[in-house]
Amino acid sequence: MTKRTTYLAASVAIFSGLLVLGWATHGTGIVKDDPERNIVIPEELTSELQVKAAYDGEKIWFRYRWPVERPSLFNDVLVYNDGNWEKRGGEALGPNPDFLTEDRVSMMIDDGSVPLFGRYGGYITIGDGLTTFTGTPETDEERTKYLPSTRTDPNDFETVLSESDLETLRAAGQFIDLWQWRSSRSNPIGLGDDGFVAEERGGDAGTGPYTTNWDSATNQPKYMFNPEVAGSTALQIDAVIAGDVGFNDTYYLSAETAIAFDPTYAWKNGDTIPRRYLRPTDGSRGDVVQPKKARWRNGFWDVTLVRDMDTGNPIDDKIFKDGGNYDLAFAVFRNASTMRWHYVTLPVSLGLEQPAQMVAERVAPGTEPDWTQPWTEITTFYPGQVTWGRLTDAQQHPGADRIAARVPVGVRHSEEQLALYGVQMEFAEEIKRQWIWTLIASLTLIVGLGININLLMRRREDVK
Amino acid sequence: MTARAMTQNIKMNAEKDDQMKRSRLIQQGRKIGLAAAALTLVATGAALAHSEGGGVTVAVDGAPSWSLSPVYHILVAHFPVGLWVTAYLFILIRTFSDSEFAVRLQKAIWPVAALGTLAGFVTYGLGLTIYPWSAITESPLGRNHILLATWTLSYWTVMSVLGYRFRRHLFEGGQRWVTFALATIGALVITVTGTLGGSLGGTPSLVTKSLSWIGWNVYMTFYLPTWMLVAFFAGAALLVAIGIAGWRRRA
Repeated sequence: MTKRTTYLAASVAIFSGLLVLGWATHGTGIVKDDPERNIVIPEELTSELQVKAAYDGEKIWFRYRWPVERPSLFNDVLVYNDGNWEKRGGEALGPNPDFLTEDRVSMMIDDGSVPLFGRYGGYITIGDGLTTFTGTPETDEERTKYLPSTRTDPNDFETVLSESDLETLRAAGQFIDLWQWRSSRSNPIGLGDDGFVAEERGGDAGTGPYTTNWDSATNQPKYMFNPEVAGSTALQIDAVIAGDVGFNDTYYLSAETAIAFDPTYAWKNGDTIPRRYLRPTDGSRGDVVQPKKARWRNGFWDVTLVRDMDTGNPIDDKIFKDGGNYDLAFAVFRNASTMRWHYVTLPVSLGLEQPAQMVAERVAPGTEPDWTQPWTEITTFYPGQVTWGRLTDAQQHPGADRIAARVPVGVRHSEEQLALYGVQMEFAEEIKRQWIWTLIASLTLIVGLGININLLMRRREDVK
Repeated sequence: MTARAMTQNIKMNAEKDDQMKRSRLIQQGRKIGLAAAALTLVATGAALAHSEGGGVTVAVDGAPSWSLSPVYHILVAHFPVGLWVTAYLFILIRTFSDSEFAVRLQKAIWPVAALGTLAGFVTYGLGLTIYPWSAITESPLGRNHILLATWTLSYWTVMSVLGYRFRRHLFEGGQRWVTFALATIGALVITVTGTLGGSLGGTPSLVTKSLSWIGWNVYMTFYLPTWMLVAFFAGAALLVAIGIAGWRRRA
C-alpha cells in the first residue's frame, strides 16, 4: 500500500468515524428538565389505557383500566409544623416526589356537535398561554382549556365571547362533556365529577364531590379525623409519603370520618389532615357516579363510572341515545402528576351497538354489565405544549392545510410520534438552532472530504 | 514521408478522432437530455392531471401565496435516486470485477452519477417550494429530510466530481476500496433520505423502523451536541490538511 493510499484510507476512516460518533451522540444535550420554564419531561412518553362501555337504555357505564406503579391516594394535605398548618402536595410541575398528587382519569364526550373534536380530540381545546405553559405568567385564576369557537380570536384566551353568544353556542351543542374520576377527591365516597369544556374547563351546575378543608379566617383546618372512626385525629406525614396509608385505613375526610377541627388538641409536628373534605354531590355536577369504589390492584387502577344516558341537562351533558355514535377522548393522570403532565389519547369513536372503534354493549334493562366483552386498547401519550393556534398556522405547521381539509390527526400521526413532537416543541428554538448548526457542520465535513479525496486520489500515469 | 510528418499525421488523426468522439458524445448527450426533458414534461402533465382536486377549497392561516404541490418533488425525486443507485450498482460491480462488462459499466459511472446530481438539485429545489421554510423547519421529520437530502446532494456532488476527474483510476489498486466505501456511504444516505421522504408523505417504511432499531427514531430531530459540532468542523479541517499533505508529497 502506498503512502497516498494510506492517507486515503485514513481519511475515509476519519470521515466514517465521525459519522458513527455523530450517530451515537445525536439528539443529546438539549432535552432535559427545566423547572424554571415549567418543563419536566415524563420518563415514559406513552402508556396504555383499556376501556369498555355498556348501556341498558337508561344508564351507560364506562370501565377504565390503566397501569400505575404506585397509587396516589392523597391529593393535597395539611401538615402541622411548629404551630402552623402547612399545605403540601396538589399541583406540581411534573410528578410529585411525595406522591401527594392524586391519580385521575377523565373522558371528553361529544355527539358530533363539535366536528373538529372527532378529528383532533383535545388538541382543539389547547389555546395559547394556558396555565403552566412555558412563558405564561402565573395568574390567580387558572387559564384552562377552552373551545376555539368561544373566542373572537381562537388563539387569545382573553377574547371570550359575550354571555349571550356563549349561551347560543351552548344551546347548539358547542361544548364537550367532561367526566372525571379522582383517586383522592371523589373515589373514597364512590363518586365521579361531571363537567364540561366550553369557554373554560368547569364543573356542571351544582355541587362537586369535594370542598377545601381550610378556614382562612382562623388559618386552620375546618375538619379533622374522628378518632372514634379513624383511631386518631390525624395521619402522620411520613407514613403518608411512604405509602403506608392504604385502602384499609381511614384516609379521607367526609361526614362519616370527620369531626370539627379542635385547635386545642395537642397537635404534634408531622400530624397530617387531608386538605379536602368529601361530600355528596348535587345537581348536574353529580350525574357521574361509581357503581362501587375503585381499587388499585396488581399495578392497575380499575375504575367504573356510570351516568344516566339522558340526564335531563342537555346544555351540560351530551345525551346518549340507543344506536347513537359519539366521539371520546381520554386523559390519564398517573405517577402523582397533574395539570398538563397527563397522558392523553387521540379521539376514539364510540358506537352504541353501532360500528365504531369502541362499541358499547347493550345489556338487559335494569341489569349491571358483566364486562365479558374485550377491552378496547388505547395508546395514551404525553402531549407536551402543542397549541391549536400553532397546528392551524401554515407558517408553523406543515400539516395546517390538512387540518383545514379536515383530515383526522390519526391519519397522519401516531401517538408515539405526537409524544416525541410534543417534547421537541418544548425546546423548539434550541433544537432548531442546533439542527441548523448540524446542517452546516455536516456539510463542511462533506466538503472537507471532497477536497481531501480530490487531492489524494491519483491516476496511475501520475506515478510514472 | 518523413518520420516527423508521420508523427504529425498520427497526431492530427488522433485529434480528429477525439473531436469526432466528442461531437458523438455531445450528440448523444443532447438526445438523452431531450428524452429526459420530454419524459419530465409528460410526467409533470400526468402529475398536474392527478393533482386537480375538486371538493371545497379552504383558506389556511399563514398559507404562502405560492407553493408547489408535493407531487412534483415526489415525481422528480425518482430520477436522482434511480440514477445514483444505478451508479452505485456499477461501482459495486466494478469493485469486485475486472471483466470487460464491468469495465464498460465503469465508463457510465460518472455520467450517471452526474445526471443524478443534476436531477438532485432540481428535486431539492422543488422540495423547498412545498412548505414555507418556517413551517418545514418546525417539523422534526421535515428537518431530518432536509438534513439528509443536503447530505445526499452534497455527497453525490463530491462523488460526481471524483467520478469525472478520476474515471477508471477510481478502481486502481487500493483506491477501488476507497471508492467502494465512499459509494456505500452514498447509497446509505440516499436510502435514508428516501425513506424520510416517504415518512413525511405519510407512508413510513420498514427502513424507518430499522433506523429506530439502530438508534435513531426519525420523529426526533437529528442534531449533534455542541462538542460533536466542534469535532465535525475539526474533522473537516483535518481532512483538508491530510489532503494537502498528501498532495504536496506527490508534488
